[in-house]
Amino acid sequence: MQRLAASVMLILAVSMLTFGAMNLLGDPLFNILGPAAADTKPESLAKVAAAKELYYLDRPLPERYVRWLGDMVTGDFGVQFGSTGQPPVSELVKERFPRSLTLLVMAQLLAAMIAIPWALISAARANKPADRISTVNSFLLIAMPNFALAVILKYVFGIKLGWFPLTFKATDPWLTRVYQTFLPALTIALPAAAVYQRLLRTDLITTLQEDFILMARSKGVGRQRVLFKHALRPSLFSFITVFGINTGTLIGGSLIVENIFRIPGLGSAIVEAILREDFPVVLAIVMIITTAFVLVNVLVDAVYTLIDPRVRR
Amino acid sequence: MTSLQTDGRVADGRLLTVEDLRTTFATERGPVCAVDGVSLTLDRGQALGIVGESGSGKTVLSRSIMGLLPSTARREGSIRFGDQDLLGPNAPDMSRLWGREMSMVFQNPMVSLNPVMRIGEQIAEPLRIHLGMSRRDAKATAIRLLRDVRIPEPDRRVDQYPHELSGGMRQRVMIAIALACGPTLLFADEPTTALDVTVQAQILELIAEQRAERNMSVVLVTHDLGVVAGHTDVIAVMYGGRLVEIAPTKVLFSQMRMPYTEALLQSIPRLDQKSHTRLNAIPGRPPDLHDPPRGCAFAPRCAFARDRCREEAPPLATAENPDHKFACWYPVGSPEYHETKERISAGLEIGSTS
Repeated sequence: MQRLAASVMLILAVSMLTFGAMNLLGDPLFNILGPAAADTKPESLAKVAAAKELYYLDRPLPERYVRWLGDMVTGDFGVQFGSTGQPPVSELVKERFPRSLTLLVMAQLLAAMIAIPWALISAARANKPADRISTVNSFLLIAMPNFALAVILKYVFGIKLGWFPLTFKATDPWLTRVYQTFLPALTIALPAAAVYQRLLRTDLITTLQEDFILMARSKGVGRQRVLFKHALRPSLFSFITVFGINTGTLIGGSLIVENIFRIPGLGSAIVEAILREDFPVVLAIVMIITTAFVLVNVLVDAVYTLIDPRVRR
Repeated sequence: MTSLQTDGRVADGRLLTVEDLRTTFATERGPVCAVDGVSLTLDRGQALGIVGESGSGKTVLSRSIMGLLPSTARREGSIRFGDQDLLGPNAPDMSRLWGREMSMVFQNPMVSLNPVMRIGEQIAEPLRIHLGMSRRDAKATAIRLLRDVRIPEPDRRVDQYPHELSGGMRQRVMIAIALACGPTLLFADEPTTALDVTVQAQILELIAEQRAERNMSVVLVTHDLGVVAGHTDVIAVMYGGRLVEIAPTKVLFSQMRMPYTEALLQSIPRLDQKSHTRLNAIPGRPPDLHDPPRGCAFAPRCAFARDRCREEAPPLATAENPDHKFACWYPVGSPEYHETKERISAGLEIGSTS
């Protein structure tokens, strides 16, 4: 409960920073509209009037903040004044966010599915040949830049084997797009899995030296059951911590992977917005990413208490 | 009481025969012989105490018999358990014996229970694995076992986690786990070392009581001769991986022959001594097993050692009582022993007058 309150405070603090960046660093009107703010062309004047209305610019600062926050909470992220037709920012978010989210969920699921069995196998054979080979492989995956891995995966699974499509088509049905997301997800998942495997393997090896493991064996519990039932759960802490941090980082989308596989996700959206100095879009995405990051961390804390009864209070 | 299985079990008589057991660990500094040529026997229902300092090989001996050793260990010799040869080519799969025929109570109950598993589950595990009990039956049996080891409110405790229990309670839980499938042989490796003195006696009493009730054999490993005195039939004293004296408990205490055994006994503080009496510690350290001494391993620390002790290791010889064996050239009671003893007390008097 206390953690939850702290999280809300954190989100509020970030919102104030974001709001401050827009309203206190330079002229807010200019921040929102760009060069059009100083224009005297009739369509620019119309934009100025609309922006003043939308962002409550003629109200005092505290009221402006509260109203703006209220809009944010209800999903009204403002308007893309720079784009033709001036669509609302929420439309862009609605279009881009699910793609990044799909990529994230798939990548993390794949990574966990690869990392956990991998760590169990190598921890059970610690420092034997199989474990040594796996160590070399995991360092290789961690060290390889992800654009290189993307190219290799594209070549092998996309071109040579032809199992997966090479590009993402926004107009395809949902399930097809999930299928198209597999290779980019794998590109993110493999190095992440290697990191998770390293962490989990080390913790598992430490746990396997514990007296309660010997105790479990002395009860006649088989080796596999010892690994799964006794060693795995108390060894999950570092893995879950890093998994949570990684999830938070990936919410913003993985720019490089999204670019290579031509997925117009949140990562590319934020870069595009920065390049055309579209402040409302940048701010909206920042708010979404931070909120999600904080939520993920609350979730990670909840998982801790599920894993270890000693954490419960 | 838990249902005991009877098929294929030794009802009475010889349960365990260990002959010339050697356990060697491969280490970076070369092989270490932690158990060196130990032979002993144990009957059904009997209690054997294995006594020695830390590093004497007593824990390794018990784990060697049970087969609970890391992969760097190698065992030679012979271990017969009932009619099964545990070290031969037809050795059974030990994990089928563990928990069912033989089980172990570990030294430190604070770290020997799985911290993230409910107590009931931990007791139920061997029941489900070995006896194929259903979840419900296993839980009911777990509650009964908790009652057997005198844990109050077993219905509530069964759903708790280890950190919610005190050290003494946890050791009781460990005993409940070890007893779950009704084993014929129970190893208790320093079961009271990590506990308060007041709790120690209760735990030993509990083990003794369960032994009598189940006609179970017990191997009690400890560094404390006082602990084994009241709770064993036979005591084996170990030093540097070897058996240096073995005798029925009464015989050992009345006619101990090995100076090491005597030194161990004298190192226990006694109530009838006046307060602030200097505690008799054994000087020196246990031998380095990477490079064991040529003669008797205890010679460098022994007040009664002579040249022969440093040159030639004494064999395990039989005393007047055929069940009493000891390994010493100049045992307690020999003329050489008395001579040295007189010299020491004379020296002490000189020292005290100066």
